[in-house]
Amino acid sequence: MRFFKSLLSATLLIAGALAAKKSPTERFSEYHTKALSSSPLKLSETSYKSLTSTPRDYSVVVLLTALENRFGCQLCRDFQPEYDLLGKGWVKGDKKAESRLLFGTLDFVDGRDVFVSLGLQTAPVLLLFQPTEGPHAVASKDPIRYDFTTGPPTAEQVHGWLSRHLTDRPHPPVKRPINWQRWASAITIILGGITLVATASPYILPVIQNRALWATGSMFFVLLFTSGYMFCQIRNVPYVTGNGKGGVSYFAGSFQNQHGLETQVVGGLYGILAITFTVLVTKVPTISNPRYQQVAAVACGGTIFLLQSALLSIFRIKNGGYPFSLPPFM
Amino acid sequence: MRSLLSLAVLAAASVVSAVSVTGNRLLVVLDDVAEKESYSKLFGSLADRGFDITYDTPRSEDLQLFHLGERTYDHIVFLPTKVKALGPKLTPQILLDFVNAAGNIMVALSATTPASTSTVAFLAELGISLPQERTGLVVDHFNYDTVSASEKHDTLVLHNSKPVRYDMWDVFSLRDDEFLALPHTVGHTLGAGELLTPILRAPSTAYSYNPKEQTEAVDPDDLFAAGQQLALASAFQARNSARVTVLGSAEMLQDKWFDTKVAVEGGSKVSTKNAEFAKTLTGWTFQELGVLRVEEIEHRLKDSNETNPEIYRIKNEVHYQISLSEYRWDAWVPFNANPNDPPQLEVSMLSPFHRLNLAPEEHSATDRTRTYSTDLILPDQHGIFNLRVNYKRPFYTYVDEKCTVSVRHMAHDEWPRSFVISGAWPWISGIGATVSGFVMFCAIWVYSKPAAPLVKKTQ
Amino acid sequence: MAVAQQNALLGPPSQSSRTLLRVVILLFIAGAAIASRLFSVIRFESIIHEFDPWFNFRATKYLVANGFYKFWDWFDDRTWHPLGRVTGGTLYPGLMVTSGVIYHILQALTIPIDIRNICVLLAPAFSGLTAFAAYLLTNEMTTSPSAGLLAAAFMGIAPGYISRSVAGSYDNEAIAIFLLVFTFYLWIKALKLGSMLWGALCALFYGYMVASWGGYAFITCILPLHAFVLICMGRYSRRLYVSYTTWYALGTLASMQIPFVGFLPVKTSEHMPALGIFGFLQLVGFIDYVRSAISGRQFQAFLITVLVATFGIGLAGLVALTSLGYIAPWGGRFYSLWDTGYAKVHIPIIASVSEHQPTAWPAFFFDLNILVWLLPAGIWLLYKELRDEHVFVITYALCGSYFAGVMVRLMLTLTPIVCVAAAIAASKLLDTYLVKSPSQTSTSEAGEKKAPKSADKTASPLGVSSMVSKLTIVGAMIVYLLMFVSHCTWVTSNAYSSPSVVLASRMPDGSQHIIDDYREAYQWLRQNTKEDAKIMSWWDYGYQIGGMADRPTLVDNNTWNNTHIATVGKAMSSREEVSYPIMRQHEVDYVLIVFGGLLGYSGDDINKFLWMVRIAEGIWPEEVKERDFFTARGEYRVDDGATDTMKNSLMYKMSYHNYQSMFPPGKAADRVRGVQLPSEGPVLNTIEEAYTTENWIIRIYKVKDLDNVGRDHFSAAAFDRGQKKKATKKRGPRVLRVD
Repeated sequence: MRFFKSLLSATLLIAGALAAKKSPTERFSEYHTKALSSSPLKLSETSYKSLTSTPRDYSVVVLLTALENRFGCQLCRDFQPEYDLLGKGWVKGDKKAESRLLFGTLDFVDGRDVFVSLGLQTAPVLLLFQPTEGPHAVASKDPIRYDFTTGPPTAEQVHGWLSRHLTDRPHPPVKRPINWQRWASAITIILGGITLVATASPYILPVIQNRALWATGSMFFVLLFTSGYMFCQIRNVPYVTGNGKGGVSYFAGSFQNQHGLETQVVGGLYGILAITFTVLVTKVPTISNPRYQQVAAVACGGTIFLLQSALLSIFRIKNGGYPFSLPPFM
Repeated sequence: MRSLLSLAVLAAASVVSAVSVTGNRLLVVLDDVAEKESYSKLFGSLADRGFDITYDTPRSEDLQLFHLGERTYDHIVFLPTKVKALGPKLTPQILLDFVNAAGNIMVALSATTPASTSTVAFLAELGISLPQERTGLVVDHFNYDTVSASEKHDTLVLHNSKPVRYDMWDVFSLRDDEFLALPHTVGHTLGAGELLTPILRAPSTAYSYNPKEQTEAVDPDDLFAAGQQLALASAFQARNSARVTVLGSAEMLQDKWFDTKVAVEGGSKVSTKNAEFAKTLTGWTFQELGVLRVEEIEHRLKDSNETNPEIYRIKNEVHYQISLSEYRWDAWVPFNANPNDPPQLEVSMLSPFHRLNLAPEEHSATDRTRTYSTDLILPDQHGIFNLRVNYKRPFYTYVDEKCTVSVRHMAHDEWPRSFVISGAWPWISGIGATVSGFVMFCAIWVYSKPAAPLVKKTQ
Repeated sequence: MAVAQQNALLGPPSQSSRTLLRVVILLFIAGAAIASRLFSVIRFESIIHEFDPWFNFRATKYLVANGFYKFWDWFDDRTWHPLGRVTGGTLYPGLMVTSGVIYHILQALTIPIDIRNICVLLAPAFSGLTAFAAYLLTNEMTTSPSAGLLAAAFMGIAPGYISRSVAGSYDNEAIAIFLLVFTFYLWIKALKLGSMLWGALCALFYGYMVASWGGYAFITCILPLHAFVLICMGRYSRRLYVSYTTWYALGTLASMQIPFVGFLPVKTSEHMPALGIFGFLQLVGFIDYVRSAISGRQFQAFLITVLVATFGIGLAGLVALTSLGYIAPWGGRFYSLWDTGYAKVHIPIIASVSEHQPTAWPAFFFDLNILVWLLPAGIWLLYKELRDEHVFVITYALCGSYFAGVMVRLMLTLTPIVCVAAAIAASKLLDTYLVKSPSQTSTSEAGEKKAPKSADKTASPLGVSSMVSKLTIVGAMIVYLLMFVSHCTWVTSNAYSSPSVVLASRMPDGSQHIIDDYREAYQWLRQNTKEDAKIMSWWDYGYQIGGMADRPTLVDNNTWNNTHIATVGKAMSSREEVSYPIMRQHEVDYVLIVFGGLLGYSGDDINKFLWMVRIAEGIWPEEVKERDFFTARGEYRVDDGATDTMKNSLMYKMSYHNYQSMFPPGKAADRVRGVQLPSEGPVLNTIEEAYTTENWIIRIYKVKDLDNVGRDHFSAAAFDRGQKKKATKKRGPRVLRVD
């Protein structure tokens, strides 16, 4: 067994050495033929070494990744389809290999030693090996590394990065496959919707033409936006935060900031105030019993007063120097 | 009496004005004031040219280059001194300040006396390197003086018939049969700076070595420099046109080398041209030669008399001219640029939009200036442009003149009217048709009798 | 104040005395509106505020000095050096022309007021007119006579409007809000009467609005939206047709006269709704005519189908033309209103402006107080009646509240309609609870309008009988209104009356201390630098330098050229070796930065620095990287742990140059970031400190000339510090000189 292992490694070594012996042009045409059938190339340790060995008159992009579940590399899995798309699109758009660029993928499982020799602690890593000879040769034979700082990049972003580095060469654009399913479903839904509206119009029309519904909707809409809903959406603020003492802080203590809960509380307060107000204006005068009317009026007035007081006290949390307040929440 | 006196003063003034452009106060720094006797011809020539020469030693207490922030001398000549450093009055910083204040310096070195550390540090800042241990001797086993140095080969006999580059001013060049003798020369090397220009380079067979340490052989690693890399005299012109020259052999300025006859191997004895060379060298260093002056700059619209307006419009035709004169020993004369390398006008905003040759205009013999001019069409881009003449050539003081003009866009009433543009005629007739149609409609409407009310209600 | 006079309204019966009273009240409201905007003039002095007003002021001075035609063709060679700015063609001239006309009228009347005071006081003066316009607009909405007065009062003192119209805030908004409200009033009038005359007047004021403020696009979108909503509600009428077509045809022609707008109304997406509705109205009008001529249900159904189909095809055509490039897509600023993440990713320069941030709820309450919940109540009440003009208020309120939620700055456009809606609600309450007997309703008081009586049966019949409830409710309402007045006064006095050129702080003993570093620095520049010394600073300060120091700047608050701004950003965020050639190329003489570390002034350049980096990165992604300014743990630090890129950036070096010398060794601290600084300060070679103001807020550096003897600045600076050039033994190949 041991013998076999060493024999295997020896053959591999020899194969690698043989591969490395080949001239760069031969190497390129060999890998390019493979790439025509499946790009990016699935690399092993040996092929990685031969592909990236110097001298080379072509460029190589290698994605060092760890796709298996046990590594838990979400970024690798998110980026993989984009990278495949880029590799496929490039090879398809550049069949004659005028750009002399190859795409490869090396999984951690297949090339543990490469990861070790490069001293990589994280994956994925995207390396661009520039040619060391030929018209586009660069001085440094070390690869350029792509910066994965802001989440998984799209194929277009990486394409742009490649285009910047591979000047004066063709840059076949990324072609995303047309999502037929999405188009089909969208058209079906639109047509279905039109049919639905047409057939159900006797039932829908009264709803659409219902003034109270529109009034409620408008009120809700206005309340939503005047209580900072868009702020929460745009800034992605948390619903509530801890106050550092194990408790929960419902209100952000700053004038410029707010929590998700605040929108609901403040929107609710505004809503009740507005509704009570409209009741006071429209409903209370229509009560025929003077006694009931008086009770209702005073009750509504009291509610408004209480809520306004609460509103002011909440506002004072946000703006410490605010001088006005109403009882009881002074 | 008074008028006589003033006449004398005037005469003196005219003599003084005949000297350098910068001034006539010359300081000579040497080891011992008595030493000046051996340079009497050189200093006599300088005094004749109107320089007011002061001799001093670095050890002197009352030597001051600056008084209340103003230069007290206009030019300095350093002759070899035996001190290790030039002392607190002549530190490299002060020398650099002197150059920054537009003072000119000539440094003469000698292989017999090590250069002072102050000189070395000062020259290093300009990009001129001297050999290590501040001393070195240039020898050439092919171009030596067989009369005085047949043994040591340390008196070089050179002819300097061509300038370093073909397009340079050949102010230091000699005729083919004229020779210079450079005894006990220290070579130096020049950095890559564009302000430096070699005047005299060693022949390709010369090399420099340290006579104290490298007595037997020179290790290639320790070789200071050899061949054409080894400069024997060099010129440096700072951005403010202050000039510094370095001469490797101070002895060549001495009286005895002015009229000695020298001979190269196999050649006959000829007298040296050291005197003429020294005159040119000092004259150039002290701004008696190659000083350019911009007399007048004028730019105007092609058919306008208003000169130097601050604002033009895009695509204006503009005439630009600049008058230059050159100072030669004692007078301003018209400056004649190399016809293959004339001054150029740049029209630039961030980067040049035009770079045009300026053509010399005809001038009469009595003119003291020469006018260069060109016509141009301003670019089709509004902005703040510089009309710049940036003429920097070796051995001439720098000319860098910028005129900033604004180039504005077309004003709203400078476009051609619509009826001038034939392509607009259909549109104009369309407007006319609409207007007349509307008027006719109104007329018909107003003068037609209202119809009988319709039976059908419209609302 | 208006509330106090409300009671008096009930007393005098005659029509003329009522009109007189109304005029007096409106005058008082205008007076209050103007008076509450004068805090800053009284506290500080008559000075132009903030940033943009400084440019408007400078442009006005140019207009007054050189006349209108020169102003129209003005090429400004003192900004955006060396590009210059075609100012006459890239500004909204309405504001300057207004001030210029006022100035010339006053001169003709031999009233010698200098142009600065006119500019300072223009905004308050126009706020009085805005209050009047709000009165007119509200009177079109309701029959209640008190609603208009209440709306005028609200409009006069609402902080949301005051924030942009205090004395000295000489900005386009100063007159634009008046024009906005007045144009809407004219639109409603035109719509109600179906009058061409009012439509033409509306177009005229729309043209004035276009000449004054880029926010005219709001009108351009709201009016067609209103028309569209009316059509959808089946409320198409001849009145709508006449008023809309008149407005659109004349208004578009008027707007195209402004050079800055030019052909935009037919070329960009922002203006397409107006054009589309114009075409749609023709179609609807035609079909309406046909329908009235020919009857038949089938035919009508067919026509409606045609209508909807045409609308759909028109929309598709618009999309197609946009994607083909004939119509410019939505501009970045407009697009970012819909796709709120767009600006942050694609146009950092828009996202960097604090006015373009989303609004948190306290800002709404701060600017509108009780009006913010009176608005939904008002909307509900408007739904009761829902005439055409009410639809307008509702549409406007819905759009306005969305826009105000997305961008703080658009609070300004929301405020007028909030005032109108809230006034309608409040007046309804007061009318209901103030009338004497239950049998009388508020409608009896309405005299001047013959508007059709509404059909709502629920509100009118009875009334409030009990004196207790009347007193409670009216009393409470008066308390809220009084609190609103004091809130507005407090907000105006505390938040909106600082000129931001001058900072005020309180000393421990309570006295006021004025920090005047900005003007100190600008004055220094004015007096100590040559006339055409170019100043590089971040664009925020461009207008102020141009206005106060009168020196050319590289970039300013008119952010039309992103690349030029990015160039400045790159110079600030790169190493000296990189920055120096950029500064030489742009002929920069001085660099001005704002540094708040000593005083704890948080609006300084180090806090804005990341925006400079981001904007520069947008143009040179390979050379400037935002990532490099953060530590490995993702922190933005300026202390010992700062990254090397940060420490070597020109901005960092300029901010902290010599700062350590203010403190005992090792004790240097930055009071904004609250951190200890490294004991060794940064070293500058290519620029040198020229001036630092009293509180270190402004630091000015002079860009050194090329070294006289041809050295690079690093060795020159090293030589000046006394470090001798080492006579290094040459290693490796010799460097040969080639001549």
